[in-house]
Amino acid sequence: MTLEVLSSIKGAESSEAVEKLFDVIKRANIDLNNLDVAEGVPLSKLREDEVIESSALEKEIIKSNFPKSKNGYLVVSKVIEE
Amino acid sequence: MASEIYKLHKLLKNKEISCKGLVTSKLDALVKSTNNTANFLLRKSALALAEKVDQKIAKGDEIGLLEGIPFGLKDVYLLQGEPASASSDFLKNYTSPYTASAIQKLINAGAIPIVKENCDSFGHGSSTENTVFGSAKNALDERKVAGGSSGGSAVNVAKEYTAFSIGGDTGGSIRQPAGYNGVYGLKPSYGRISRYGLMAYASSTDTVGPIAKTVEDIRIVLNLLSGMDYHDQTTFESESVSKEFVEDKSAAKKLKIGYYKSFIESDAIDKNIKADFEQLLEKLRKEGSEIKALDFYKSETLVSTYYTLAMAETASNLARLDGTNYGERKEGVNLKEIYAQTRSDNFTEETKRRIVGGNQVLSTGHAEEIYLKARALRDEISKRFTTEFKEVDVVLSPVTPSPTPFIGDNLKDPHAMYLSDAYTVGFSLGGLPTLTAPQGTETGVQITAAKHRDDIVLQFAHYLNDSKFK
Repeated sequence: MTLEVLSSIKGAESSEAVEKLFDVIKRANIDLNNLDVAEGVPLSKLREDEVIESSALEKEIIKSNFPKSKNGYLVVSKVIEE
Repeated sequence: MASEIYKLHKLLKNKEISCKGLVTSKLDALVKSTNNTANFLLRKSALALAEKVDQKIAKGDEIGLLEGIPFGLKDVYLLQGEPASASSDFLKNYTSPYTASAIQKLINAGAIPIVKENCDSFGHGSSTENTVFGSAKNALDERKVAGGSSGGSAVNVAKEYTAFSIGGDTGGSIRQPAGYNGVYGLKPSYGRISRYGLMAYASSTDTVGPIAKTVEDIRIVLNLLSGMDYHDQTTFESESVSKEFVEDKSAAKKLKIGYYKSFIESDAIDKNIKADFEQLLEKLRKEGSEIKALDFYKSETLVSTYYTLAMAETASNLARLDGTNYGERKEGVNLKEIYAQTRSDNFTEETKRRIVGGNQVLSTGHAEEIYLKARALRDEISKRFTTEFKEVDVVLSPVTPSPTPFIGDNLKDPHAMYLSDAYTVGFSLGGLPTLTAPQGTETGVQITAAKHRDDIVLQFAHYLNDSKFK
């Protein structure tokens, strides 16, 4: 996939400034085995998922943030299948 | 210890000032300011809270230490019912549905949020020039940048528009602007303060921290904000840092100090910053401190590792911004077109550069060659920190290799901007507690300790805040 598609940004392409950073990493001689998960939480320590009801005010603000509404409905774009 | 919070608390308690008068004076100063630090003033809610504090004082009730104290928050924090724009066109009209955990703790303690502060858009920048609200200007010299990304917050503290501000630090975004504006700024240990309600940039290094004029104010706010949070599972329980511990100068004098040769011997460091830093080390040596030179990674390795991972994480975190449920949606013929148009029009050039870079390193082929190698480098860097902090108690370093740049200079060369973070990003990769103290060099000095030893950082900062080291 192109960077344009991956990023959903028109005309997206690699930049020189960022490529310079990546070149340093490419040149690094480092073992990829035994990677740690930096700052991650082990699966065994994760709490169970819970459903928490939003407050009435929170729900109202979420609706007010919706970009488009019509006749009391929140409008989303037509989903296309390819 | 000197403290802006104690000073204002005493004035309020003794009825020498009213809370409404205090808040109004700060808001008015922000309106008149030419530093461009305020994205949104919270006048209505702030004055309502101030009124309640005044009523309490009038009745003769006790007030808490933070009650009625005006503070600022970087415009990447959610505060229910108030705007949260991340200094972007995308969210310029967005209203926070809930309040960030750290901000809620301050409000519960009675502190009053008065301003959402200008910053680099989504935290993407080192100067507060990458903002749709216009560049923030330095508190000491308005021709220069405020630093970033928490530039507005650092300037507000330096100008005393706020008693303290809450910034966000992913790779130096609290420490560097604190240094540029001559105030203290703490990046706490990763996980010490909840990130819930902070718009995510790079989740594995994002931290919440205070910017203030004194070490004591940093200590007060750090203690209040620390602790486990149900909503952020990376948080950990921590003990409060006591005033007695911070004030123990004889203990601070015995701390073993390290510094990185690679930072000081680099060709990129400004000669005055180098000379001033070496002079500070010499003063410490004369006062009896043991100082050890340490080997460390080259700046380009630290910067490249950090930015590779940060871009990958921000590409994932900002993928949710597509204009469907919130934000400035642009019209298009179908869903894909709407996504692309919305994101192309609403993100700044720097944010787009980072999103595209992130998707590049996460894509097939590049992930192994770049992303996984950067992760392996980060592991190595973290392990090196663990080893080194067995030999020394604190590491001192300049905050930046160069003096505060003039507005406009950074924008010409993004790669140079990335390299200006050379001395801050390494400690972020290690999740270490690091404080900028406004002394030692033109842009300050960083004090870093082993993970979870935020207390040692503050103790050493208090020791350093002495005329013999200035």
